[in-house]
Amino acid sequence: MAESHDDNPALFEDDDHRAVYIFTPAGHSGLPQQEKARPVKRRKVTSKRASSSVAAAEVVQEGEAETERTQTTTTTTTTTTAAAAFPRLFGGKESAEAAELRRQVFDTAWPVLDGRIKNVLREANRTTLEDVSSFIRDAEGDATRGTRIPAGFIITGPNIASQDLLFEQLSEALGKATQARFVRLRAAGAPNLKAALKKVIRDATAQVSIGGGGSDGDEDAEVAFGRDGRKYLDYDLEGLHAFLSAQQDPSKRVIVAFEDSEAFESSLLTDLLALFHSWQGRIQFSVLFGIATSVELFQARLLKSTARQLFGAKFDVVQADLVLDNVFKSAIAGTQATLRLGPTLLRNMLDRQRDQVAGIRVFISSIKYAYMCHFYANPLSVLLADEKSLTRQLLQPDHLQAVRTLDSFKAHVEAAVDARQLNHAQSLVEDDSYLVKQMAEQRLKKQDYLMQLLRSLHLLTSMDLVPGRFTDLYVSALAGGLDLTPIIDAIKRLGADDVPALINRLLTAIQTGSPDLDLPGWEDEAEDLISSLSEIRDEIEALAEQAREKGQQSLKSKFTAQSKVLRTTVVAQKVQLSQDTAKLTEEDKAFGKAIDSLVDLLTHHIYSDPIDSLFLHEAWAYDAEAPYRDVFVPRPGTTFERALTRPHGYLGCECCSKTTGTLSATLPTTCILYQLYLETGSLVNVADLWSAYYALVGEDSDVGLGEREALVRFYRGLAELRMMGFVKQSKKKADHVAKVKWLL
Amino acid sequence: MGDSLFQLPDELLFTTLSHTFPCRDAQIRAVATLLHPHAAPCQNLVIHGTEATGKSAITAALLQALQEDTEKDEPLLRYVIINSIECITARHLYESTIAKVAEALQWRGAATRCDSVSQMVVELSKMLKYPSYPDKFRFVLVFDGIDRPREAPITLLPALARLSEIIPRITSVFIVTSPPASFLRTSFVPCIEFPNYTKNEFVTILNTTSLPTAPLPTTTIQETTELWNRFTAAVHDALARAASRTLPSLQHACTSLWPRFTAPILAGTHAPREFSKLMVAARVHFQDESLLDPGIVAIRSCSTTTQPQANNSAAALPSAPPSQANTPRKAGQFTTTTTPSKPKATANPFVSATTTDLSTLLPPTARLLLLASYLASHNPTRHDLVLFSTFHHGRRKRRGGLSVGTSGRGGHRGAQSKHRKIARKLLGAHAFVLERMLAIFTAVRGEWDPRWLDRDVDNTREMDADIEMAIATLASLRLLIRVGGAAAGGVAGDQMDRGGKWRCNVGWEVVRGLGRSMGVEVEEWLVE
Ligand SMILES: Nc1ncnc2c1ncn2[C@@H]1O[C@H](COP(=O)(O)OP(=O)(O)OP(=O)(O)O)[C@@H](O)[C@H]1O
Ligand SMILES: [Mg+2]
Repeated sequence: MAESHDDNPALFEDDDHRAVYIFTPAGHSGLPQQEKARPVKRRKVTSKRASSSVAAAEVVQEGEAETERTQTTTTTTTTTTAAAAFPRLFGGKESAEAAELRRQVFDTAWPVLDGRIKNVLREANRTTLEDVSSFIRDAEGDATRGTRIPAGFIITGPNIASQDLLFEQLSEALGKATQARFVRLRAAGAPNLKAALKKVIRDATAQVSIGGGGSDGDEDAEVAFGRDGRKYLDYDLEGLHAFLSAQQDPSKRVIVAFEDSEAFESSLLTDLLALFHSWQGRIQFSVLFGIATSVELFQARLLKSTARQLFGAKFDVVQADLVLDNVFKSAIAGTQATLRLGPTLLRNMLDRQRDQVAGIRVFISSIKYAYMCHFYANPLSVLLADEKSLTRQLLQPDHLQAVRTLDSFKAHVEAAVDARQLNHAQSLVEDDSYLVKQMAEQRLKKQDYLMQLLRSLHLLTSMDLVPGRFTDLYVSALAGGLDLTPIIDAIKRLGADDVPALINRLLTAIQTGSPDLDLPGWEDEAEDLISSLSEIRDEIEALAEQAREKGQQSLKSKFTAQSKVLRTTVVAQKVQLSQDTAKLTEEDKAFGKAIDSLVDLLTHHIYSDPIDSLFLHEAWAYDAEAPYRDVFVPRPGTTFERALTRPHGYLGCECCSKTTGTLSATLPTTCILYQLYLETGSLVNVADLWSAYYALVGEDSDVGLGEREALVRFYRGLAELRMMGFVKQSKKKADHVAKVKWLL
Repeated sequence: MGDSLFQLPDELLFTTLSHTFPCRDAQIRAVATLLHPHAAPCQNLVIHGTEATGKSAITAALLQALQEDTEKDEPLLRYVIINSIECITARHLYESTIAKVAEALQWRGAATRCDSVSQMVVELSKMLKYPSYPDKFRFVLVFDGIDRPREAPITLLPALARLSEIIPRITSVFIVTSPPASFLRTSFVPCIEFPNYTKNEFVTILNTTSLPTAPLPTTTIQETTELWNRFTAAVHDALARAASRTLPSLQHACTSLWPRFTAPILAGTHAPREFSKLMVAARVHFQDESLLDPGIVAIRSCSTTTQPQANNSAAALPSAPPSQANTPRKAGQFTTTTTPSKPKATANPFVSATTTDLSTLLPPTARLLLLASYLASHNPTRHDLVLFSTFHHGRRKRRGGLSVGTSGRGGHRGAQSKHRKIARKLLGAHAFVLERMLAIFTAVRGEWDPRWLDRDVDNTREMDADIEMAIATLASLRLLIRVGGAAAGGVAGDQMDRGGKWRCNVGWEVVRGLGRSMGVEVEEWLVE
């Protein structure tokens, strides 16, 4: 639904961001004006809720390229017409400065993260890169190779698309390490031998094809290479050879990377490899295969004679899980993240990574999209600006009004009332300047909250006792808070040697912080924690020492002793069972106490509240799931269905507003046909369909269409249904169409 | 020169050639006679023989030697070799022939464009027919592997055979695997066969050409050579008769077995004379399959782990020599790559990519789709309503239903199963319409995936972009295959066309494993 109605039809782009908007032809302004009465928060969600299909699908496909492009365009627009970029919210009442500030915050916040993410991704591939480069370099001199082609098999996991970066890095690194020419092949770009060779030659010689980039056209272009300017067919490796000779390239190395090896026809691979092999003495071909499944499966698809031409080595890419964890730590959990993504959204994104074939790229785009949504559509996101730029003048009454509609505001005031702080509550509601002051304070509280959360998490994970992954821990901490309970038992079951080690780990964690999370060490702030921890450690060590002197094997605490020891002794041919709880020594008891105090201490320091318990969290946390799903997981089928059953949602006409899922003559033809279609069997007699349709709209009805007109509309509607994939021509009966939908 | 009409080349030439290529004396002499300008040069010559019998190598070496031999004051023999494997199209073949001939004759200004055989003839005539050459000048055109051109008109071979009629100076040599009768469509063509080697020949060749370069430590060259000779005979007996019949594969087997065979000598347990003891010690290695089928991975692990790997296999193969450490092409490792404990699939879908097990490689949605498409491929359409419809029962319980057990009980079902003798899952996969598979997918997802159990039926029906992405991925991995005209057409075949036809490309074993990884017995869902 529209946020505001723009009077200027020329500014068409203004509507582009909306998934759905009401189409009002000129002179037909029946637009419901209920928008302004709505609270800000809800509007943000509803504006994005409507599902889109086409636009969203494009976003997914275009992926990085798309976001890159928008980024460049947006930065150019800031310099020229800043206000045009981010619309003013509050129904247009937001000041231009505030809108501009939101944009600035976004523009500074995202690149920081982007840089960090890129770093993580590049780092992740480093060892693979080094291994591959050294293999390719060494294969040259390997005596066992013979005339076989050096072949690197890089196991990338099923999401080949996300390995784009890897191959980009490979081409960079290998070019540097071996002075080789690097050619990347994808199955889609190389449907047959000729096309593949053309691409290899064109990329290796870095020349633009004369035919104008027609890579798979049947036209055989000619290219001139070499000193004598002889012309070669553009798929003739002789040409490449001549080129390399002319370049005085002594090694004449060419590396061909098959990015999605499984997608290539086996016969094409066989042909190409045979060709490379036959050229082996003259051009040093090496090949790389990106393999989604496994080398064994891949080998099964090759001929044995082809396999014999390869001198292979296998490389693993860092597991996607690990990369995800690192990206998550640096971009979502880390202190550098300006915006906090909420637990619902995160859960969704993580689930999707686990269950679907969605690469890390999708994950990163999703983060970016969340940032974009937040700053674009939430006027309160302006509160994330730093103190200098966020002046008092910038905060309009609308901002304060918006704050007062927030759920967290309500909760906060109610809590104040419950706590008998009536003045505070009253001022919050009535006094604008008081509210502003509170908001400024809230900024610090947020900072404290985040620090506490991250430090607790860091301590928890450094203890190595928590099962599960960091991502899950973080999400559950945001959703339901965090404390020590889940691992108290694990701590209590630790032995006397493990506890000091655990404490040492905690101490180093406090000292060094976490570079992944960009969390600095906090020694100076945690002096008493450090001293108490060291005390406990020293005490336990002393106890262990004492016990050893007394000849006791190891310390046991009351927690471990009971559960473990059941003695069996055979006395006079009878088995005696005895429990040795009573046998705790003095040291054991002291040890138990020390553990108790350790648990107490940690419970004090490791805690965090759910994120939505904080006042004003809406301004700095984003947790809307719907826009994310609509954009990244569009459901075109559902969208079509919805549009066909309830077209007035899109058309905004009055005539059909009462017909939901029922037939009415005023509906667009395609919708009527769709309704009729739902009622038919799997084969639809077109004549029957026509008569049903004509009965509805024909001369006798209220619409009263003439037969010719009705027939034209009918055909067009039917054609549209076919376009949308609901019906197809039936082969069984000439005058019937078949339903494509199954089991409906 | 004029004193004798028939004159064979220098004997020295034959000796050197026979030294590099033992056991081919007769063939070398025959070919030389038929190519040498002073002997009996012929018009066309066919050289045939099976794989790796030295056809290409010997022809090339012989022609080079002949050219040098006849090079006195004026050129008498020139040759080019056109490897038709390297020619992608017929045009490519013509043009590279012309280019190579021009280069051999140092001819400037040959046409570069050449679309047909007749054009090629014109060009060749320009270069070879009209200019004046010495009296007995011969030009040899060698077409290697011409029986396997990639894309050539059927008239290509006869036309090439006529070349020498039009241009009398030319001798065309055709190297083929086995010549079909009269495939050149000209009368009388001399054929020279390069037969496969016999055992003695194999051994002789191996003994002369691929002797180990360095003698083993603590032994003399003499002893090493003797040992190698007996060793190659043994390898031939063990492997060549059964499987590895070509010279290169035998060579490969010998060189990779040699270090392991001689390990006891290095270790000092046996002397080089004790051949039979060495044989007994090395018997395990002779049974190693990777000798015959080395696989594509020559180096198992590339980074720092090479060393431990070597140690590993040293432990596994008791007498593996230390010298193996730097030649990490290992035996038996292929068979030992089964991971001992498979990690839980759902916890970590990308873990351990070394297994062939798809269930650890694919995320759950993709696995479900693959199962659904297997069902769609192997169940007849008419049973769909019974199997998958949730319409009448709301939600159905798991049915142990329509499999073999029940089919015997029902009267008409029993009659039906009489017709069908072969289990459906043993038959090939049938094509299915994408929409049908998606319907099955939504139906089974509701039953198999616990997270979908509580959603209402309407919700489960929806298809989102993730599922389409999974289909596209499966297609790119060739686990699902698009069939029918649209698949070949490319442009016309939209992958997401719901009416498109597909086929499941994984076998029963894989599917059963996949099903079990998700706690599903796929067998229960197949109609027998
Ligand atoms: N008699 C021989 N002595 C030494 N080496 C030989 C002999 N015969 C073949 N070879 C070697 O075997 C290898 C294969 O030979 P070549 O390529 O000539 O076989 P080919 O008959 O042309 O096979 P194809 O039919 O597959 O083309 C070459 O490396 C060659 O040197
Ligand atoms: Mg050959």
